[in-house]
Amino acid sequence: MIVLVIGIVVVVAVVAALVVLRRIPRHDTGVTRFQRHIDALSPEARRAVIDRGTQHPDGRREQRDN
Amino acid sequence: MARDLAIDLGTANTLVYMKGKGIVLNEPSVIALNRQTGEVLATGREAWQMIGRTPGYIVAVRPLRGGAITDFEITERMIRLLLQRVGVSRFSRPKVVICVPSAITEVERRAVTDAARRAGAADAQLIEQPMAAAIGADLPIDEPVGNMVIDIGGGTTESAVISLGGIVALEAVRVGSFDIDAAIQSYVRREHGIAIGERTAEEVKMAIGSAAPTEDEAQAEVRGRDLMTGLPRTVILTPEEVRFAIDDPVSSIISSVARCLAKSPPELAQDFLNRGMFLVGGGGMLRGLKQRIEKETNVPVRMSNMPLEAVVLGAGHCIEHYDALKGMFMGARR
Repeated sequence: MIVLVIGIVVVVAVVAALVVLRRIPRHDTGVTRFQRHIDALSPEARRAVIDRGTQHPDGRREQRDN
Repeated sequence: MARDLAIDLGTANTLVYMKGKGIVLNEPSVIALNRQTGEVLATGREAWQMIGRTPGYIVAVRPLRGGAITDFEITERMIRLLLQRVGVSRFSRPKVVICVPSAITEVERRAVTDAARRAGAADAQLIEQPMAAAIGADLPIDEPVGNMVIDIGGGTTESAVISLGGIVALEAVRVGSFDIDAAIQSYVRREHGIAIGERTAEEVKMAIGSAAPTEDEAQAEVRGRDLMTGLPRTVILTPEEVRFAIDDPVSSIISSVARCLAKSPPELAQDFLNRGMFLVGGGGMLRGLKQRIEKETNVPVRMSNMPLEAVVLGAGHCIEHYDALKGMFMGARR
């Protein structure tokens, strides 16, 4: 009997916690997304691509227009 | 499985970056067609060599003007052939990011994405050229500081102020290095009475063209067709003459840079005085242009290490970090 009561209390507590969590606005989504965006633009993230560009054999300055 | 691609579909040249590999194609944006059958005879460098030298039944054209598609069908065929050359087939459809001028219209935007999809891309996203250029020129655009980039291409000039991964101010004009070539053609026709082709005009620009006086100035011999007699004739052009001839397009380019500076928020404007503005694109390699922009704006100008590749490298970076950077694509913000 005690186990059953404890079980019901735990389930109610978990459901209540989930309801409360759902009602709290999720501020972290935009922050996380923006941080990922900024991190992806950091010089470290760009290093591999820039290095590939410097190794590119095609003309640097002999072709004047693009 | 096709590797995803980034394409700098320029008025003058098309560059392709393949995910994980780097730049795999750099060719003039030219296609040669049989006028009677519509069959493609050559693309890229091979077609470029045909400009102005073809018999009546062949036409060598640049399907893009001012950064926009002037002939949808030909552009689609050109993109299809370029994609085939980098390994795209009917069974391997890559995601593609294409750099376009920021000032293109909704219709032009749709024309580019449709052309890429029909040419074999599974998905086509667009990114503004100055943003891609800033990423590819390795500017610290992830920081809250003003980064100004000036991208002078064949058909457009775009100046943008970028901070914290986004465009703060932007100014674009449909004037580029082809307009400089056209100005030389028209000057030689008007003042010397001879007709020259666009390739000759470009050669003159590269040999003696300048936006401001430089130390090593020389004259150039130009051969063309006399407008009165129809016979071949040679004239001598001086650097002063060429400077005078190209002053209109050069002034338009500098005015657009000044307008972009004027649009910048004051907090970012002071950063330019310390850090300077960065010049990318083939048009930026005109002798004396850097000095003339500095003189007329009082802001230092620096040349990017890879002026011709910066745009495609920036778009290439977006394809490498597609999910994190998809918010930068043109459709995502509208």
